[in-house]
Amino acid sequence: MSIDITLTVNGVSHPLAVDPHASLLHTVRDQVGLTGSKEGCDDSECGACMMLIDGRPVNACSYLAVQADGAEVTTVEGLADGNDLTPLQRAFLEKGGVQCGFCTPGMLISATALLRDHPRPTEDQIRIALSGNLCRCTGYDGIVAAVAAAAEQG
Amino acid sequence: MTVTEERPTAEQQGTFIRPDGKEKVTGLGRYTADVNLTGQAHAAFRFADHPHARITRIDTSAARAIPGVYAVVTHEDVPENLYGGMVQDRLLFAKDTVRWEGDVVAGVAARTQAIAREAAAAIVVEYDVLPALPDFVANAQPGAPLVHPEWTAYDADDDLSREGNVVGHSTILKGDVDAAMETADVVVTSRFVADASQGAPIEPRAILAQWTGDRVTVWTSTQVPFAARDGVAHTLGIPQSHVRVIVPLLGGGFGSKCDFHFEAHVAALAEAAGRPVKLVFSRREEFLAPDHRREGMVLEFETGATKDGHLVARRATLHLDKGAYTGEGGFFAQMAAMHACGPYELDNVAVRAMLTYSTNQPSSSIRAPTAPQTCWALEQHMDQVAAAVGLDPVELRRRTLIRQGSHGPTGQVFDEIGMLDTLEAAVEMIGYGQELPDDEAIGVACGWWPSMASPSGAYVKLNGDGTGTIVTGAQECGTGAVMALPILAAEQLGMRPDDFSILYQDTDAGPWDMGASGSQTTFNNGRAVVAAAQEVRAQLLQMAAEKLEIDPADLELVDGTVRAVGAPSTSVTIAELAGTGTPLLGKGSGDLPENPPTDIPSACVGRLGLDSFLAPQLITHAARVKVDRETGVVRVLAFAAAHDSGVIVNKIGADGQVYGGVMMGIGQALSEATYFDEEGRQRNPGLLDYKLQTASDGPRIDVRWIEVDTPNAGPKGSKGVGEPPSVPTSGAVGNAIAQVVGRHVTQLPMTAERVWTTIQDVQEEAK
Repeated sequence: MSIDITLTVNGVSHPLAVDPHASLLHTVRDQVGLTGSKEGCDDSECGACMMLIDGRPVNACSYLAVQADGAEVTTVEGLADGNDLTPLQRAFLEKGGVQCGFCTPGMLISATALLRDHPRPTEDQIRIALSGNLCRCTGYDGIVAAVAAAAEQG
Repeated sequence: MTVTEERPTAEQQGTFIRPDGKEKVTGLGRYTADVNLTGQAHAAFRFADHPHARITRIDTSAARAIPGVYAVVTHEDVPENLYGGMVQDRLLFAKDTVRWEGDVVAGVAARTQAIAREAAAAIVVEYDVLPALPDFVANAQPGAPLVHPEWTAYDADDDLSREGNVVGHSTILKGDVDAAMETADVVVTSRFVADASQGAPIEPRAILAQWTGDRVTVWTSTQVPFAARDGVAHTLGIPQSHVRVIVPLLGGGFGSKCDFHFEAHVAALAEAAGRPVKLVFSRREEFLAPDHRREGMVLEFETGATKDGHLVARRATLHLDKGAYTGEGGFFAQMAAMHACGPYELDNVAVRAMLTYSTNQPSSSIRAPTAPQTCWALEQHMDQVAAAVGLDPVELRRRTLIRQGSHGPTGQVFDEIGMLDTLEAAVEMIGYGQELPDDEAIGVACGWWPSMASPSGAYVKLNGDGTGTIVTGAQECGTGAVMALPILAAEQLGMRPDDFSILYQDTDAGPWDMGASGSQTTFNNGRAVVAAAQEVRAQLLQMAAEKLEIDPADLELVDGTVRAVGAPSTSVTIAELAGTGTPLLGKGSGDLPENPPTDIPSACVGRLGLDSFLAPQLITHAARVKVDRETGVVRVLAFAAAHDSGVIVNKIGADGQVYGGVMMGIGQALSEATYFDEEGRQRNPGLLDYKLQTASDGPRIDVRWIEVDTPNAGPKGSKGVGEPPSVPTSGAVGNAIAQVVGRHVTQLPMTAERVWTTIQDVQEEAK
């Protein structure tokens, strides 16, 4: 059995037939073909799969595709404006916030949501906001610095 | 003739942007799990059902009958070629015996991953269950039941011992420990136990294999593409030229993706299925299946010291858990023995280390194998020695650490090194000696790690417009080491780093390199890139000399031109020379530095070439912690890391290694452990129960580089960088905890429960 839904991903509507148990993550990766969002644990532990659903960050591995029917989904591919990186993306590169890059999509989604709600976050606010996103490479230092730098630029 | 670089490089301006950065922040970069091929099938494994058992029957008929199953592969379908690093002790698919819970019994390729998993579960495997042998200390005793009863028949490195279950037995014997111990004012003994831990990269591994005729291409998330290629060729019995390994973006490794793992299993499935096959591990499988985790250890130390802070003798006995198979980890006993000495002046040493088989998950290289646990134990022991002789722990280290001209524990004589400078820098940065609340304290620990010399290759070629391409066999695992290679090529050629593209990783294209392991990429492949660029430079100078009719010795390469020294208007652009169509191609590996000599006697066993440390990387870490006495919860409030890694080539990359390594070290100190049940099954194979540090756990980390321009080392006087940042971290945290608690916590990780228990023990004894 499959269910017909419409997923709007990064502003583009996709009419899809999905299994009722299909996760949003697998649907976006396998059916929509956007693989920027990563599967690190399939259990809401690592945050590498994070997407914005109507602006709210969620772990897409643990969110059903049918729950997102009709919603506006933003993935990491939807952050930049064409070839122009956002200040946050640029700051991640300039501050050493990217090493292997596997956590980066989820980090950027979490940080985007944070900066929208708290344009001038304290370091503690940044660290708490990102605490659902695991990174094994950077020790978080470059990531926290990048979010702070992006906030500085407004 | 000198090459000059008048413009500061991007790296010197502190804004070096890694060339793979844009694809990573836009989500457009492809990791192995993101790659799909037309018609691909999905793989699943049937793992051992018992940690230790004899297989009596395998029946795959029910699995093969499931609709959508393309192939089932067992030991019957592949050559019986044992493989392994220093001991060839493993088969791709278990035949007679399973020796740990991650042994692969069979593989399935099916239309979907769900069908593949269903079919793997439907394979009938019958066993005679054998007693599990998880206790590696007991397994080292004479007469213990053997994990590999037949292993004296295996091919193995001659320098390894083969005593019962002991794979590696290394000793360092120097001076007369018995006599020296008699002269000590104090003798301190300590015993510590370190639990196993994991590399735990955020990317679970993925492999995709496709055959074209009798050749196979494997896309894989490996740190060591040439080892992966060679492993496929060896186990499947085909030439290396029939195996092409491509590594898309790699989502971290930390050692766990070193060595040949599952590439041949997937290649065998793809051959049997007659179509491409893709394997993607779940997080649970990423914990259970790799034959790579940080080894559990039991460590006993005895040190004699004089009241004036002189270490007169050291005894140590170390037990290391090898787990079921050797993999690449056969050298661990010797490495641990060196870390049991540490970067100290020691004239009398008797250290014995045993690396022993068990029916646990195999241990192999995880970031600085054996060092964090051994250093954690030794550095806490050193603080106990300091207390016994009545010296401040920093002062004891000040008097005993190696310095230029010192004879190390194996007699290596050190060139100029920054060991003491790292100590002074770390204690200054952390504010050692400051007044603190009574639930806070500062701990200090020192450590070391060798630079690894290895052959390594690179090509540098120029394009017709004057840009260049580096073709390297080196593997980028996230550290940025490969990303920084253009800095080195650009300096040789008077070009800019962003003039270069980098081609990696394709084993059919790049020359051999040992991979993203041993902190060796900049050290060895950097040297190769410099040598390759120097060949291109010589070609450019010769072409320009003929065109400008000037002696090559009077020419220099600056700003993308070759010009006359002192007459810059007499010049020709590199683009003009490269655009003639003459191939401008250099290859290189550079001259391999030799390990320093030692004076330890031949009575020492298990000498595998690590008894001296080439271009040693030297480290002092200092941690300020807060301990909640009610709960045992420890929080690291501030951290200082001072490193001598020689001259730093790419500061943003090197800093990143320290930030990440320290955080991994704090995890190992406080929260990260793989817990086994009584039979050696992992009890916490998931990220909810295996606790990595999060952004909100971490302290700010202050980093300082003691840049000693090191001869006989890597390019520009550099040493390695990647592994040392995890080495003394847990020792510093442990020493800080002990300052608050009044006693050292003797088990790693120092979880809240263990800290709390230690507090209770101290309070009980005070009553």
